[in-house]
Amino acid sequence: MPTMRFDMTRRAALGAAIAASTAGLAVRARAATEIEMFFPVPVQGKLATEMQRLIGVFNTQHPDIKVTPVYTGSYDDTNFKTRAAIQAGRPPAAAIMSANFIREYVIDSAAIALDELIAKDGGTPQGFMAQFWPALALNATDQGRVYGVPFQNSTPLLFYNVQAFKDAELDPEKPPVTWQDWVDAARKLSKPGADKWGIAWPNSYDYCGWLTSTLAMANGGQYYDTAYGGQVYYTEPATVAALRFIHDLVHTHKVVPPGVLDPNGTTAAFFSGRVGMILLSTGALGFIRDNMKQPFRVAFVPKNVVNAAPVGGGSLIIPAGNTPERQAAAWTLIKWLTSPDIAGQWSRFTGYFAPNRAAYDLPEMKQYMAANPNAGVALEQLNRYGRGWFATYKTVPVRKAMEDQVQAILNGDISAAAAAARAQSDADALLRPYLQQTALKLPT
Amino acid sequence: MPRWRAATFRIRARPWLLLAPSLVFLLAFTYWPLVQVLEGSFRDQAFGSAASWGIGNYSRLFADPHFGSAAWNNVLYAAGTIAPSVVLALGFALALRETTLFTMAARTLVVLPLLIPLVAAAALFTFVFLPGEGLLDWYLGPLGLRAVNWLGSPSLALGAVSAITVWKNTGYYMLFFLAGLAGVPQDLLDAARIDGARAVARFRHVTLPMLGPTLGFVLPIALVNALVQVDQVVTVTQGGPSDSTNLLLYYIYQQAEQNHDAGLATAATVVSVAALLMLTLASLRTMERGIHYES
Amino acid sequence: MSRRALPLLGMIAAAAAALVWAVPFAWMAVASLRPGVPANVAALWPEPPLGFGNYLDAWQSGDFPTWYLNTVLVCGGILAVQLVTVTMAGYAFARLRFPGRDVVFVLFLLQLLLVPTLLIAPNLTTIVALGLYDQLPGIMAPYFASAFGVFLMRQAFRAIPRDFEEAAMLDGAGVFALIRHVLVPLARPSLVAFAIVSVTFHWNEFLWPLMAVSSPSRQVLTVGLASFASGSEAGGEWGVLAAGTVLVAGPLLLAFLVFQRRFVSSFVFTGLKG
Repeated sequence: MPTMRFDMTRRAALGAAIAASTAGLAVRARAATEIEMFFPVPVQGKLATEMQRLIGVFNTQHPDIKVTPVYTGSYDDTNFKTRAAIQAGRPPAAAIMSANFIREYVIDSAAIALDELIAKDGGTPQGFMAQFWPALALNATDQGRVYGVPFQNSTPLLFYNVQAFKDAELDPEKPPVTWQDWVDAARKLSKPGADKWGIAWPNSYDYCGWLTSTLAMANGGQYYDTAYGGQVYYTEPATVAALRFIHDLVHTHKVVPPGVLDPNGTTAAFFSGRVGMILLSTGALGFIRDNMKQPFRVAFVPKNVVNAAPVGGGSLIIPAGNTPERQAAAWTLIKWLTSPDIAGQWSRFTGYFAPNRAAYDLPEMKQYMAANPNAGVALEQLNRYGRGWFATYKTVPVRKAMEDQVQAILNGDISAAAAAARAQSDADALLRPYLQQTALKLPT
Repeated sequence: MPRWRAATFRIRARPWLLLAPSLVFLLAFTYWPLVQVLEGSFRDQAFGSAASWGIGNYSRLFADPHFGSAAWNNVLYAAGTIAPSVVLALGFALALRETTLFTMAARTLVVLPLLIPLVAAAALFTFVFLPGEGLLDWYLGPLGLRAVNWLGSPSLALGAVSAITVWKNTGYYMLFFLAGLAGVPQDLLDAARIDGARAVARFRHVTLPMLGPTLGFVLPIALVNALVQVDQVVTVTQGGPSDSTNLLLYYIYQQAEQNHDAGLATAATVVSVAALLMLTLASLRTMERGIHYES
Repeated sequence: MSRRALPLLGMIAAAAAALVWAVPFAWMAVASLRPGVPANVAALWPEPPLGFGNYLDAWQSGDFPTWYLNTVLVCGGILAVQLVTVTMAGYAFARLRFPGRDVVFVLFLLQLLLVPTLLIAPNLTTIVALGLYDQLPGIMAPYFASAFGVFLMRQAFRAIPRDFEEAAMLDGAGVFALIRHVLVPLARPSLVAFAIVSVTFHWNEFLWPLMAVSSPSRQVLTVGLASFASGSEAGGEWGVLAAGTVLVAGPLLLAFLVFQRRFVSSFVFTGLKG
């Protein structure tokens, strides 16, 4: 078979090269360490090309390391692929993992703690994390040990249509700050009979959980245990009330369209003017800027009790099962990718935040922020009100336990109290095995 | 060895020689993994504790309401995809059996969905089903159906997902019906026409029985597809909203990939495979009774 | 109802249905030629501004030449081996009687259900153990045995009158010559149908190639397409997605249009027996 023969020839050639170099003819002391980095592209298209370009730059600047960037699909696909590779005994040296999955990697011992590598550089975990926005530490560390280095981040943001505001006699300079303002504004923007709505947001899986946690936190709730992966607080009063708020928005105030929308449906509705205000990720800023024909602005997510904006995004991890040499090479790559300059470049290209605070002191970033006031609003929300991204033992099904109920609320099939109770009991069943081995395991 | 013995051996060994290449790959990539999966399904491993052997995974499986939804949804999905796609495929094949420029064009249009990846078909249909701006709502709007959220409401989502499957598979089945119809001897049809049989009668008494083998082929394939084609659920609805598009294979995929619950995933695989096997055997038996072979 | 009316009605209904079938494609073609996000995304007729910007975006987002090559190699390699395995096994089931035949037949039948996607994790372990991880043959291997093909060939061979084989065997032909020179040519329509199905399926497969191969130089088209088909935090760029889909499905479409005449005529002429 042609392919195999080609590969065997290549392998033979490589073997000969290595033999030659170890025979004392080589100039370098050792051949370049070859590693792969798995990366997801959770937003549209050109990010894969840009990542490949960045890695090309890294490889040129670091002749002793050769990184192969491997596109691995969405956050979920990347997670699956990384896990499968670890099980197959061929883990990548680095992977960009969705920040809320890191806790499970820690629980399953599938990623290494980076403290030793940090110590080799002469730093401490706290000192290392201090270079990033504070909220990011919640998902990147576990009990003080660093497992993930933030690479790209986002928060929810309120986008609103300036023209629609003016038409409804609302002041675009005064976006809603509290939930009461929000409902009042939404009522003026809505005409259910004419398929015009005040508010909409994506409620497909993943987005739904993220934004539900946002509203629960904005109502003063904790939603989940940030220190320990075995507990969620779906039935705490603040969360139940937030669910009731969602219910009311759809069925009482009638400012949110019934049914589940996915991100594409939400942006399409915003672009066409069907919806006046949307909640969406800051990661979509660039996309909305490029495609929204009417003027729009952004604002903090409205609060009922406190302002809250849980983060989203991905961090770089080093999966378990890599040799120390590969780990060291991966660590060099990780530090480079998360440095202020590169983080800034990536941020400007994608619309994600640069997790590294120093990135915002660099001149190009300052220029960019000056030209994009919307980005400044988003950053301020992150800095002042950033919160953790929901992460537990078996994150996805525990998250879905709530999401299934919220989707039922949106379709009018269940009340808030019943939804919360169902979600909590489903979650408890899922968390039980972990609880039994940890919190419920008392000394005999 | 006497010549007749050698000859007998050759004859006895022949089928196995012919089957050997297929069997090697079958064993390596279907049955060995199946053994691994079967074994895994009886290995009960809760978090942190040691593995034990037992039916723990199965009891958890049957107690899981998500599994129940997936199973029931799959029954609905099978009914809602097999019947329309087979009937439509047969209809198209009958109407387009002559080879003219027109029929070739029409056939091409119907078969086109076969040619694109399901991932892309699903993405296209996300736009078709987009509330308000999407193809369906945009063109049905004037008819009074304003902004129906096809994929976002539990009562409609499964139907929408089924539509994608029907759209994709009909052309595929049509190809086989076209082949089958081409095998219906023209003389039989002419004889029937001379005898005064009308079109519908000709169809019922000549064409349909001769399509037996084709149907016997298409139906099991359609049945399998109803269980195996879940790419659009994976990429578009992820089983939602509220579990309404959860299907058996998607449930397995979820348990394996998202929930890292190898126990539930393997147990569900075993149960699904067993059910599918029984259904297929039953449908084949029924078809074999009515099949007409020439040799 | 008059004798003419029914076929005519059938034609009209089929024409209407075929047009409905084509709507998503019509939209895809039109949307791919409209750069940016136009106001009427759902419009089915081309409206200015038109341009190939989406195709450029799609082309630049990926490494299409490599993806095309890999996809062709994978599909071709799989088909080549499958043609050998399915004709041999199909003949065994169609004509030969041997102890254990029904059991083995069920083993094949099961494979229709036990698709590699179901067994993706253990198959990955097998591939790694065989040293085929991240190699194109690793993508191909689980598909070399095709129960579907065996099923199809069994039906096809059973429908061929035994006179042909008896004549050949009287002439002293061995089994392999019999299969190759007599049965395969007679069963060509089925083989062509199988080839089309096999190539199409593997051209459009996504999850297994994504799993089995990690190097960018060995990726296939669907994996490349997925890089701009999936989006979780931002919205949809319909035009680029449409253009990318056209780029991926284009070769298959062209091949079908070329194949179609030969394909259809062989199905028709196969009706003339004896």
